[in-house]
Amino acid sequence: MTTVRPSVRLSSLLLKLILIAIAFPHSTLVSANAENRIVNVGIYENAPKIFTSDTGKPAGIYIDIIEHIAKSENWDIHYVSGTWKEGLDRLDKGEIDLMPDVAYTAERATIYSFHKIPVLSSWFQVYAKKDSKIKTILDLNGKRILVLDRSIQQEAFDRLSKGFGLDTSVVAVADYKSMFKMVATGEADAAVTNSFYGLLHAKEFNLEDTAVIFEPSTFFYASQAGDPKHLLDTIDRYLAALKKSPESIYYTSMKKWTSEEARFHLPFWLEGVGFGVIVILILSIVVSMIFKHQVNTRTRALQQENAERRAAQQRFADIIEFLPDATFVIDQDKRIIAWNQACESLTGVKKETMLGQGDYAYAEPFFRKRRPILIDLLDLTGPEVEAAYKYVQRKGNRVYVESFIPHLRGGQGAHLWGVASPLYDQNGQRCGAIETVRDITEHKIMEETLRKSEREYRELVMLANSIIMRWSPEGRITFLNEFGQRFFGYSAKEIIGLSLAGTLVPENDSSGRNLGSLIREIGDDPLRYERTVSENIRRNGERVWIDWTNRTVLDEQGKIQEILSIGSDITERRLAVEQIRRLNNELRQHTETLEQRVAERTRELAAINDEQRTIFESASTGIVFLRDRTIIRCNRRLEEISGYAPGELIGKSTRIWYPDEEAYATVGATIYSELANGQTYRHEQKMARKDGSLFWVRLSICAFDKEAPARGAVGIIEDITDEREAAEKLKAALEAAQAADRIKSAFLATMSHELRTPLNSIIGFTGIMLQGLTGPLNSEQQKQMTMVQNSSRHLLSLINDVLDISKIEAGQLELTYTSFNVRSSMEKMVKLIAPQAEKKGIELRISLPDSPVMITTDQRRLEQVILNLLSNAVKFTDEGSVSISGQSENNSLIMSFSDTGIGMQQKDIPNLFQPFRQIDSGLARKSEGTGLGLSICKKIIDLMGGTIEVESQWGQGSKFIVRLFQQAKGEI
Amino acid sequence: MNATLLIIEDNEQNLYMMRFLLEKNGFTVIGAENGLKGIEMALHCKPLAVLLDIQLPEMDGYAVAAQLREHHELDDVPIIAVTSYAMIGDRESILAAGATGYIEKPIDPETFVAEIKQYLPNNL
Repeated sequence: MTTVRPSVRLSSLLLKLILIAIAFPHSTLVSANAENRIVNVGIYENAPKIFTSDTGKPAGIYIDIIEHIAKSENWDIHYVSGTWKEGLDRLDKGEIDLMPDVAYTAERATIYSFHKIPVLSSWFQVYAKKDSKIKTILDLNGKRILVLDRSIQQEAFDRLSKGFGLDTSVVAVADYKSMFKMVATGEADAAVTNSFYGLLHAKEFNLEDTAVIFEPSTFFYASQAGDPKHLLDTIDRYLAALKKSPESIYYTSMKKWTSEEARFHLPFWLEGVGFGVIVILILSIVVSMIFKHQVNTRTRALQQENAERRAAQQRFADIIEFLPDATFVIDQDKRIIAWNQACESLTGVKKETMLGQGDYAYAEPFFRKRRPILIDLLDLTGPEVEAAYKYVQRKGNRVYVESFIPHLRGGQGAHLWGVASPLYDQNGQRCGAIETVRDITEHKIMEETLRKSEREYRELVMLANSIIMRWSPEGRITFLNEFGQRFFGYSAKEIIGLSLAGTLVPENDSSGRNLGSLIREIGDDPLRYERTVSENIRRNGERVWIDWTNRTVLDEQGKIQEILSIGSDITERRLAVEQIRRLNNELRQHTETLEQRVAERTRELAAINDEQRTIFESASTGIVFLRDRTIIRCNRRLEEISGYAPGELIGKSTRIWYPDEEAYATVGATIYSELANGQTYRHEQKMARKDGSLFWVRLSICAFDKEAPARGAVGIIEDITDEREAAEKLKAALEAAQAADRIKSAFLATMSHELRTPLNSIIGFTGIMLQGLTGPLNSEQQKQMTMVQNSSRHLLSLINDVLDISKIEAGQLELTYTSFNVRSSMEKMVKLIAPQAEKKGIELRISLPDSPVMITTDQRRLEQVILNLLSNAVKFTDEGSVSISGQSENNSLIMSFSDTGIGMQQKDIPNLFQPFRQIDSGLARKSEGTGLGLSICKKIIDLMGGTIEVESQWGQGSKFIVRLFQQAKGEI
Repeated sequence: MNATLLIIEDNEQNLYMMRFLLEKNGFTVIGAENGLKGIEMALHCKPLAVLLDIQLPEMDGYAVAAQLREHHELDDVPIIAVTSYAMIGDRESILAAGATGYIEKPIDPETFVAEIKQYLPNNL
C-alpha cells in the first residue's frame, strides 16, 4: 500500500476503490480476532454427562468443565442443542466448534480432532424391562435392540452381536430418553445406553440393567478436524490440572451429578454364583464384631475389660481366615488388619508381609502397584479406578466388580469377582472395610465352553431335518427332537418316558418281523445294529419307513447308558421301489402278448418295407435319407449318378456332393431354413461326383416330419445333365439365330444405303436429260431414257422396301401418332393410283362415308399401306374392277380392298405375308414387285394394333380387310 | 447479292449433278470434297447456303454442321443436308447437329432446285 502514490491524479477514483478493496479483508480479519472467544458448543440429552436442566439451561459434567475453562479463558460459550446425530452433523459442517462426550475411535479421529486427556470413561450396558429374562448377550438373539443414532455403541453393538452370531434387529434412535420410553412401552426389547445415563434413569422407566456390558470407552470434547480455533490444547491443560486436585470442579461435578444413588438389583447370574450371598451373610453377621475389635485395639482399656469380645474377635478372625474366598479387611486408616489363607494362595503374598500395611498396600499383589482398588470404590467414584474393572455395580453401600487381573495365576491372568463393603461399629460408625474376591477363571472358561457346545448341540438338534431320538437300553424314549415330534405326531411331554414298542414301533412290521425283539437286540448289541431300516408308526396309525443310525452313549463304567438314534424318512423312496417292482412284474406278464404283437407287426412292416425297397432301388432318380446333413441311406441309382460304389455313401456327410465349403454352407442354410418353414426345397444345382467332376441335378428335399426337421429328410436327386445340355444347346442356337438376324438387318440397311448412292446418279442424270436440260432428245432417246428412269425407280422402291423390312425387323420402325381424317387419306391414294388403273382399263369403285372418319395413328405409314394394297389390286387385275371401301364401326375403322384379279390358291395364303414370298403365279413373274409390300403392310398394321385379313379364290380375285382402332391405345 | 452456293460432297458425280442443276438455274456453285475444306471455303466466301453430304471422309457431316454453327458470322447461312441416310432418326440427328433442312438422296432433278430455293431468303 505504501507503493501507491496518489500523485496519479487521473486515476485517483480508481485508486480509492482499490484501497477499499485491499483494506476490507484486513478489517474483517481484525474483527475475527476480536470475536475469537466465541465458542459454539453442541449439547444433547445424556444426563448426567450433558443435558438441558428443568430451567432450560445446559447442565451436566461436560457443561461444568467447559464453563470452568470458559470462565478462565474468557470464552463466550454459545450452546446449540439438538440430538446426538444433529450435534455430530453440525460439527461436520463447522456450525459448532466443540461437541462434548465424543468417544474416541480411529474412524472418528479421521473426521474430528480430539484432545488427549479423557474427560470420562464409560461403558455400554443393555437395559431391559424387569421381567425381560435377558441375562447374557445370547439372550438378545431375535430381539429388537435400540441404539443411539450415529453413536459408537451402534457399531460396537453390531460388532458384538455379529461376533456372537446373533440375529438382532438394531434400531437407531435419536436420544436415550426416547429409547428408554420405547423399551418401557414394549416397542423394543432392550436399549443400549452408556453407564452414566442408565445409572440415573433406568428406574424412572421401570427398567433394569442387564449383565450385558461392553465396550469401555473414553470420552472427549471433539472439534472440527485440525482444531481451527485451537481449543483442544487449552482443554487438555485444564483437564490435567483439574484431575490432580480432588476438590476441583471435575470431581465436584462428578459427585454432584452422580449423587443420586441408583438402587441396583444384583444380577440374576451373580446370585446364581451364590458367592455374593455368602459374603453378604458373613458380613452381616460379623461386621459389627470386627469393628468392635478394632475399636478395642485402639482403646486398650476397653479391650482388657471385655474378654468376651476378644473371644468373639478371635472367632471372627478365624471365620475370615478360613473363608473359601480371598478376603482382606482394612481399618479406617486403610491399614490391613486381615489377609486370609485364600488371599495368600490367590496372590502368593503371605499375611505376615501384609498385616498392618497401609497406603494402598493391598493393591500391590493384584496390580503390582499401589493404587485405589475395589475396596476404595466404596468412597470413590473416579472412573480411573473403575476403568480397571470390567464390571462395576453398587448395591446399597456395597460395590460389586468383575475384573481380569493379568498378574495372577502365574501370569496367565485370572477372572475375579469381588465385593467390597464398609464396616460399621456398634454405634453405626464407619470403622473399616472388607473385600472378598473369588477366582472365577475356571468357571468362566467352563461356562463359555459349555455355552458354546450347548448352543452347537441345540442348533444341531433343533435344525436337523432328521429324527433324533435317545432311548434307554430298556426301550424307553428319553428324548425326541422337534422334528421327530412333528414327524410322529407326539409332543415331548406325551412321548418322553414311554416305551418305543407300542408307540413309535409297532409290535410287528408289515412283513411280520417282531420289532419288540429287534429293539432288545439293538439294546443288547448296538454295534451290530448301527444301521437299521425299520417300519415305524405315526400317532395317526400311518406306517412309515425309517432309515436309522444307532449309536450308544456309555456311562463312566462303560455301560450302555442310552442309545442315540438318528432317522430319516424313506417311506416315499420305499414306496417308489415297491411301485417299480410291481410295474416290472406287470410288464413281464405283458411281454409275451407284446412280443406276439410285435412279431405280427414286424411281418406287416416287412411286407411294406419290401415294396418300398423295390420302389427305392428301382427308381430312376436318386433317393437319399438324410439326418444332420449325413447320408443315412440311399438307393443304387444315387450311387451311380454320383460315381460311388454300392454302400459307399452311407454315413458320409453331404459335403462330398458340393464343389467347395462355401457352396456347402450357403445351400445348406437355404435348405434348412425352408425345411424349418415346413417347405420342400426344390432347386437345380451342380453336384460333385466322386471324381470331382460337376454335373447338374434337380434336387428336392422334404422333411419326414414337418414339425421336427431334425428327425431327418428325404431327398430326390435327378441327374439332369442331358436335359440341361439340350436346353443349353437350344439356347445357344437361339442366340446364334438372333445374332444372324441382327447381322442380316444391319447388312440390308448398309446395302440399301450404298445402293442409293449410284442410283442417285442414274435417276438424277436420267431426269436431267429427260428434262432437256442437256439439249433436246429425239423420240427414240426419249423412249429409252424413260425406260432407264422406270427401271431405276423400281430399283429404288425395291431398296426402300428392303430398308423398311430391315427397320421393322430390327425394331427400328417407330410410329408417329397424329389425328387425321382417314377419308381424305384414302381419296389421296386413290388419286395416285388412278392413272395406272386407267391405263389398264380397270374400274375403280370407291365407297366412303360422307362425314370425315378421324383416326389417331401414323398417317404416312397408313397411307403407305393403303397405296400398297391398292397398287397390288390394280397390279394383279387385268380386267374388271378394284373396289375400296371404308367405314367406322364400334370405334373401329374397317377398310376393304377387293379386286376381280387372278386371286390366290389356298396353300399360298399362309405364306402371303412373309417377306420375299411373291406367289409364283405361273406367270413367270409377270408382275413387277419386290414381294415385300404385303409383308411390310402386315408389320405396320400389327404395330398399329390392328389386323389385316385376306379372302381369296384362285381366278376369282382377292379381298384384303384392314381393321384398326380409331383411337390409339391409352387415348380416348 | 452473292448467289454463291457451297456444296460439300465427296462423290464427284453427285457434286457434278448438283452443280449442273444449280448453275442451270443461275446459281454460282463452289464445291469442296471434304469437311475441312468446306468449312474453310464457307468462312472465306460466306455462301448463300451450304449443301452438305453426311457420309464424308475423315470429318462427317454432323461434325461439319456443328463446326459451321460455331461461327456466328454464318448464323444466317442455311445448311441443307443432302444425304442417302434414310434410317429412322437420321433426319432428327442432322437437324440437331445444326442443319437447317434435309433432302433425301436420290434427288429428284425435277424438284431439287425448288426444294433448295425453299431454304433461301426472299425466295431467290
